Amino acid sequence: MQEAAEYQSVFVGAAREKLDDIMSRYPTKRAALLPALWIVQEERDWIPEGAMIEIAELLDITAAQVKGVATFYTMYHKHPVGENFIQVCTTSPCNVCGAENVVKALLKETGCGELGATSPDGKFTITEVECLGACGFATPIMVNDDFLDSVTMETVPEVVARYRDGKATG
Amino acid sequence: MNRATIDGKTITAPEGHTILDAATESGIEIPTLCWYPGLSVVGNCRICLVSVDGAEKLIPACAAPIEDGMKIETRSPAAVDNRRSVLSLLLERYPTTNLDAGAEPANIFESYLADYGVKPTTANQRELPLRSGDERPDDPMIRHDMSTCILCTRCVRACEETQVVGVLDTAERGGVTQIIVGTDGDPDKASCTWCGECVRVCPTNAIFEFLPRERFGEELKATDKVARSVCPFCGVGCQIDLHAKDDTIVRVTSPAPTEITPNDGSTCVKGRFGYDFTSHEDRLNKPLIRKGWEKENDRWEWRGGTDSLRRTGPWQTIEGEGATMKPAAPPRRQGKRLKDLPLLERTAEVSANRVATPIDWYEPFREATWEEAFELTAQELTRIHEDDGPDGLAVFASAKCTNEENYLLQRLFRARFGTNNIDHCTRMCHATSVSAMSDTLATAAASGSMREVEHASDVIFIAGANTAETHPVFGAALKRAHERGAKLVVADPRKVELAARADVHLQMTPGTDVALFNGMLNHVFAMQLEDTDFITKRVKNIDAIRQSVEPYTPERASAITGIPAELIREAAEIYAGGPNTSTLWAMGLTQHLRGHDMVISLLNLILCCGMIGRWGAAMMPVRGQNNVQGASDMGAIPFVYPDYQPVADPANREKFSRAWGVDPETMSLTPGMKVTEIAKKGSPVRALYIMGENPIISDPDIARAEEWFSKVDFLAVQDLFLTETARYADVVLPGAAFSEKSGTYVNTERRIQVTEKAVNPPGEALADWEIVTEISKRCGLESPFESPDEIMEEINSLAPSWTGVSYERLKGAGLQYPVPAMDHPGTSFLFPETFPTDDGLANLHPVEYAPPDELPDDEFPYVMSTGRQLYHWHTGTMTRRSAGLDQREPTPTIEINPEDAAELGVKDGDLVKVTSKRNSIVISTRTSFRVAPKQVFVPFHFREAAANLLTNPVLESHAKMPELKITAVRIEPV
Ligand code: SF4
Ligand code: SF4
Ligand code: FES
Ligand code: FES
Repeated sequence: MQEAAEYQSVFVGAAREKLDDIMSRYPTKRAALLPALWIVQEERDWIPEGAMIEIAELLDITAAQVKGVATFYTMYHKHPVGENFIQVCTTSPCNVCGAENVVKALLKETGCGELGATSPDGKFTITEVECLGACGFATPIMVNDDFLDSVTMETVPEVVARYRDGKATG
Repeated sequence: MNRATIDGKTITAPEGHTILDAATESGIEIPTLCWYPGLSVVGNCRICLVSVDGAEKLIPACAAPIEDGMKIETRSPAAVDNRRSVLSLLLERYPTTNLDAGAEPANIFESYLADYGVKPTTANQRELPLRSGDERPDDPMIRHDMSTCILCTRCVRACEETQVVGVLDTAERGGVTQIIVGTDGDPDKASCTWCGECVRVCPTNAIFEFLPRERFGEELKATDKVARSVCPFCGVGCQIDLHAKDDTIVRVTSPAPTEITPNDGSTCVKGRFGYDFTSHEDRLNKPLIRKGWEKENDRWEWRGGTDSLRRTGPWQTIEGEGATMKPAAPPRRQGKRLKDLPLLERTAEVSANRVATPIDWYEPFREATWEEAFELTAQELTRIHEDDGPDGLAVFASAKCTNEENYLLQRLFRARFGTNNIDHCTRMCHATSVSAMSDTLATAAASGSMREVEHASDVIFIAGANTAETHPVFGAALKRAHERGAKLVVADPRKVELAARADVHLQMTPGTDVALFNGMLNHVFAMQLEDTDFITKRVKNIDAIRQSVEPYTPERASAITGIPAELIREAAEIYAGGPNTSTLWAMGLTQHLRGHDMVISLLNLILCCGMIGRWGAAMMPVRGQNNVQGASDMGAIPFVYPDYQPVADPANREKFSRAWGVDPETMSLTPGMKVTEIAKKGSPVRALYIMGENPIISDPDIARAEEWFSKVDFLAVQDLFLTETARYADVVLPGAAFSEKSGTYVNTERRIQVTEKAVNPPGEALADWEIVTEISKRCGLESPFESPDEIMEEINSLAPSWTGVSYERLKGAGLQYPVPAMDHPGTSFLFPETFPTDDGLANLHPVEYAPPDELPDDEFPYVMSTGRQLYHWHTGTMTRRSAGLDQREPTPTIEINPEDAAELGVKDGDLVKVTSKRNSIVISTRTSFRVAPKQVFVPFHFREAAANLLTNPVLESHAKMPELKITAVRIEPV
């Protein structure tokens, strides 16, 4: 039921092979749902509705179920995000150590302006998350898959600059 | 059995029963929100927690099995305390307008609040916003007000488990958890069928029926009557409850799933939302007489001119309408917004372009009194009978009317006028099934029940039936069966919903079914998968069958049908492997020139594999109309009296003439003419009486039928509306809708059900049985009936399979006939030991494949089939006058494969001209992969693009069924 013009299939070629391989490891097709969502995010940087419908058809579940699961996890992006996706811990321990200032600095430095929005240059999206498990090294942030600890208001410009020129690893 | 005490009461409960089951059983009420009968148990609301002696914590009654020796307290202080806190937590995000106003509880949740004395915190103390979710804005039938959602997920489970659709789910779990509709809120995209199951289960009316609320806001709150009825829209025979206020039906609900009903309490969209046609402004509320009939010296005379001019009214004929171009259809997904479509009032725009009866159709008539209408009808029937003898008269009974009404009508024509020229639209649907089943098994109805197909069949074989759309509630049962693990094998040229989900879809070239079934049987014999025991004990003529199917190797069958031989083999193995296989078929098999042979070859397959006569192995021709089974049972067919007692047998004539108080010599021993022979050039019939049928839309090659109708001497039509057929009438008699009379109907599994009258017919309209009784009396036939149950008494004295039927006994689930005695429980499946043939054995008949009459060629390269859609029913007289249904499917469309559409250069919504050897129609395109390339599908519900203008009137030789399923057509963009 896809209109070919507006949506390009994710699961073709290598992506499809990868999914088939994953499906073959589980007794039921639906067990491959989380990895299938990852594949979409790897390919498209976020998970468009069309992809949810495509997954539903491939895994024999309903599109609503796919969305139900996708929206359960903050790590799946339901909207387009910037090249660099930054998650900042703002749970109480980090908060008392100044996480909020880190967030403010990040929003300003990247140009995002507000949480969840993408910066005008398309480079950054910032979101708050709960405890990242590094409470001793406040404030931890994650940029894409990189884990950076002890970030402060002051170190923010350097971090942002580093990522602005491509997804450099920190 | 477990013994336990609940609130001090000692109870016993079978293994596996939950505390809730046991409590309900013994009349102790435990509140529930997330639990709903028949749905899976999720135990997420925690309102049902009870105290169990010795348990540390409270126990969820809906989920915990009862154990021996349990001591349960349902209203212990701890349990009540917990309930209060559950309710107050939910209430924190629930709108309080109704509660603040001190109004009656609006739903079960609010009544729990009242029961447990839970009060909302004042608005300014609330910290959390109301809930939200997908809302279905502008939906014509179902809307959401998700602020009242309590996230019980009943709707999610009902949609997924009961209807097996899966439109809804919970998303954004966390602070803003909400119910979503598909991925983007569009129910259409998520395959919603508008069944309303979600409406039914929602405990807070967060999901609600929009139409009734819109139209009857206040009336809904104080309905004055609830009547149990049977849905008028298909052979499933769903029981529904009609809620009335001031003599108008304001809403329809379905019975609790805990009651035994053929529908287990579900309905489809037509049953729940399609009732408003009964109060449509087009309803006839006074008899009409054609201008030109005048009364002189106590006799009615035609003063309207010569015969040939008699019916040339000012109207356009269907033929004329069909070829004219219509404004482009709105693209389907949008439908019309409710505010743009007047519901009950008829505006000029509506009558010109939409479904309402065009004003000029009324022009040739004048309103009359019943006295005039009865007089004229009786006079003319009697006169033509005297002039032309019995063969000058004929009658079309109705598959939509009750058993009692059909019975009376055939009684009148057989007893008073001595003719067996009585038939109804079964001729267009299962006549070939009846002829084939009679030849083979001497039976004319399904052998089994829907319930056994759902619960006990291991394999379900469906041939030529689009059950999910035409019998949606049974379709859902089939999907549930598939979910539980039954295998689904579907033979259908179209990839309809069940075909798409089938384990094996045999997508054949239309009209090649005999080759397919013979091919499957060939493989069954080759692999020795036949049921030899059954064959030895129960069938005759097996050698001839073995011989006849021998040439039909899967390869040869494949060459004819276009189905890969491998699939034919696989299907045959699954079919014969069972162990219990049920076989369903419908119009896809019957509406063919070789329909009789197709059913015969399917019966051969059933019988050689022994798939009949035990629970789980049902033979089911799925009946299309709400009472097509009953009308046939009542003898509204040309060759039998009620209960299939042949008219040719003088003993039967003796019996019936005695009961009807006439001389046997005046009744005919000759089987009468059939629908398709009556309205045909050269037929001797000069007076026709039609009750609730609309042949001008349903007959093949309508233009030709129209010509006949415009010339018949006298035509009386009894109907709800001035239909396409009624336009040709001399007298139009306004009848009553299903909700306006009581009576009985027979569903597709032989279940006789009784309905209760909910409201009065509009104006002077009368119940159809009253009209027929009065005409019988005026024609001089004794008809001492004061109510439908008195008619039933006469029926059960004459129909041996109905002897045990009485209105009293029919209450509740009804009875599946045969019911040979007052203490007989009815029969859920037939033929465990023998068949009703003379020697008790099934007669196998070898049949050969032969091609359909009209094959595609260069001039007419497409094969067109006709049929029904989910939102409409038959000639559309009722469903097209139902606001919600009509908005979902407002215009005629032709289903065409995208490949063909591309070749023709048309896209969705574009108009095309479809031409057959007989006629043309103009219709809008709907591209769909459901149809194979070079095949198209046109629904026959729409007058403005009447599919039957195109169809081929060639008749099947045994049953005189036209080949409605195959017409060669040409398609051109316009
Ligand atoms: S109307 Fe039926 S199909 Fe649609 S969401 Fe509700 S339950 Fe599901
Ligand atoms: S919409 Fe109704 S049925 Fe569905 S979760 Fe909310 S309260 Fe329950
Ligand atoms: S609270 Fe920030 S990492 Fe644990
Ligand atoms: S009814 Fe038992 S937990 Fe909801």
